[in-house]
Amino acid sequence: MDTPENRLSDYIDALNVERDPEKHRGSADTPELAKLLAAVRLVRSLREPVLPDPGYPQRLSQAVSGNIKKHNPANLPQVAVTIPESGRRIYEKAGWWRRRWALPSVTIAIAGVLLFAFLTNGAGLFNRDVAYAMEKAVDQLSSYHGVLETRTTNAAGKELEVRRMEIWYEGDKYAVRQDDDTLSRQFDGTLTVDNGERRWQVRPQDKELELIPPYPPDSYVDLRVEASWALRYPHTVVGSEAIAGRQAKKLKISPPGGLPYFLWIDAETNLPVQSQTALQGGVQTTSTFLSFEPNVRIGPSIFTYNPPAGYRVIEDNPMQLVATAQEAAVTSGLTPLFPQEAPNRIFASKGRIVLDYGETGIMETVATGSFESKFLNNFLLGTAAGGPLEVIQGIRLRWRQNGIEIRVEGPQTVELARQIAPDLTLPDPGADLVGKAQVKVPADLESAKAEQLQADAGHSPSADKVSPLEVSFTFVNLKVSPQGTSGAPKIPYTSCKLVANNGAEAVVAVADGPVNQVYLKRLVRQDTGIWSVVGYDSR
Amino acid sequence: MQDFVTAADTLKSAADGDSKLIEQICLDMWEPLYRFLYWKVQNREEAEDITQETFVKTLTYLQEHQSPGDNFLGFMKIIALNIIRDRWRQNKRRGVPINIEAVSLEETAGVDPQTLIAQRLQIENALAKLSEDQRAVLDLRIVKGYSVAETARLVGKTEAAVRTSQYRALQGMAQILDDSD
Repeated sequence: MDTPENRLSDYIDALNVERDPEKHRGSADTPELAKLLAAVRLVRSLREPVLPDPGYPQRLSQAVSGNIKKHNPANLPQVAVTIPESGRRIYEKAGWWRRRWALPSVTIAIAGVLLFAFLTNGAGLFNRDVAYAMEKAVDQLSSYHGVLETRTTNAAGKELEVRRMEIWYEGDKYAVRQDDDTLSRQFDGTLTVDNGERRWQVRPQDKELELIPPYPPDSYVDLRVEASWALRYPHTVVGSEAIAGRQAKKLKISPPGGLPYFLWIDAETNLPVQSQTALQGGVQTTSTFLSFEPNVRIGPSIFTYNPPAGYRVIEDNPMQLVATAQEAAVTSGLTPLFPQEAPNRIFASKGRIVLDYGETGIMETVATGSFESKFLNNFLLGTAAGGPLEVIQGIRLRWRQNGIEIRVEGPQTVELARQIAPDLTLPDPGADLVGKAQVKVPADLESAKAEQLQADAGHSPSADKVSPLEVSFTFVNLKVSPQGTSGAPKIPYTSCKLVANNGAEAVVAVADGPVNQVYLKRLVRQDTGIWSVVGYDSR
Repeated sequence: MQDFVTAADTLKSAADGDSKLIEQICLDMWEPLYRFLYWKVQNREEAEDITQETFVKTLTYLQEHQSPGDNFLGFMKIIALNIIRDRWRQNKRRGVPINIEAVSLEETAGVDPQTLIAQRLQIENALAKLSEDQRAVLDLRIVKGYSVAETARLVGKTEAAVRTSQYRALQGMAQILDDSD
């Protein structure tokens, strides 16, 4: 039925799928409806803009170029342009939507209070969806004090580590004390404090206090992060269990391209009580709040920087909060690269700058040595600033630009990174990387499936197959020594270098031996599956 | 940080059809222009279309006119706003009237961060005056982008009730914003 309610709803639907509502759904036919559509746009401006796909800038420049060439300069259409300096008004008097932009400070203050009220109420309405209810409950959490236990187990269920930590959290401040390692029965007592301006660690066993970088943040402390991820991803309630003496709903969360993980949410308070990662690389971690006191008063002393008497203070190039980009440049000695979007906070120390965007952080350091990672062997490769771009789990990027190494991590990663490196190109999972292999290696899908099961269960050596470098390293050494070798392999691991990886296919260059390049494919499962060699080039 | 001051001779050469320079200008400037337009129109399709049209009209204009001076981005934003207004007029001629208010045109094309913050506060202020129920529906439908069916499931209402609720909530928003003018 073509009622105003339906037309308004259609309009919202069109915007939600990023389509031009006027083009696809028609538009307002009464001033009343037009006003409501404008209100929709205003409310929608609270969310971040959706950027075009990576190919848009190139398509744009080609289309513009083609269009300009078609124009005959002798017969150009005139474009109505009004220059601000002329003092003329560009548009007629607008109506109800015209805001008085320069709001009086009192109005802003009142709005702030109302905004706070808006953010701090809203319980009880949404018990039909657990994740949404959790987000609302977490929104109301101004502070908490709790004890979190973290258990790490292997595929067989054997406990590898059990740690407990006491957490105090209030707004942008937190303190975490590592209480003890239950298995080794060793008391730790290390206290990490972030008071929003600086972060430090107090180590009683060594009688030391060290000022440490504020990045990356201990995101597990801020329950809003967990709640926002749960709501963002597809989720289903899969059961109800008693956790730490409280009845909790078990939520299965399935991030696109990743393995599902679980969250248990207190049935009464709607706050998370336990999380459990997927079994990855043979290890699974379960974190449980053994105790949790929401909205408690936390004495300010715990967040106050006050080195205990007799402690050695280590200030090894500590980061400090700075106010401007210029101050960051002076402190760091870098010429920083800033996105257009202003950060919430800027931290700087010699040779390093951190831009804090809430859930997303950017770290800039002096680029030294080789770009290749010494620690990671399973990342995707794109391009940025004319060089390689390391992509990890879709939300961590690393590249070099103007002599600076840039790392961006968080949900806003790509958007912010593109503001620094507009040419940034993410790996294309549809690209054919393996088709040009000189020698094809027959794929054994059944064997790959069996190995995938082994790898998922954490059994080595199948677990090693999650890295294209590991697989290539084994492959080239078996080429040299088909019977296997004892002692050091003939072709060292360092000879293998990842040159392309789009998540589905990969290419590894080998510096030594009879094989020049190895071509690999994830036969069973893209993004998280094991790698199989499907071809190679001889040297 | 990007430099949005583009030399007059570069603009002139681009306007005369130098593909390399057109590409350079497009790659350098598409994103701030696109973000500005998205802020106005709130959908990717329209923002992409108008971004392209703005580049074409700007360079076409420069084939016969002087460079606008230092603030080239501001100049492009003005052209972009004119395009939005022209679209409104065309739609009106086709008998599909859209209130110009819907595109939130200001008399200046520059939108500074303080303006954005002020607008945001004003919207959030208006939202805070709605009932909890209405806020939730607008939050889910417009800010979080859920479908009517998903929203109905999340708030425990029928789909028809969600449509009615969002209509009334937006009426309330419009009234609050009217009153605050």
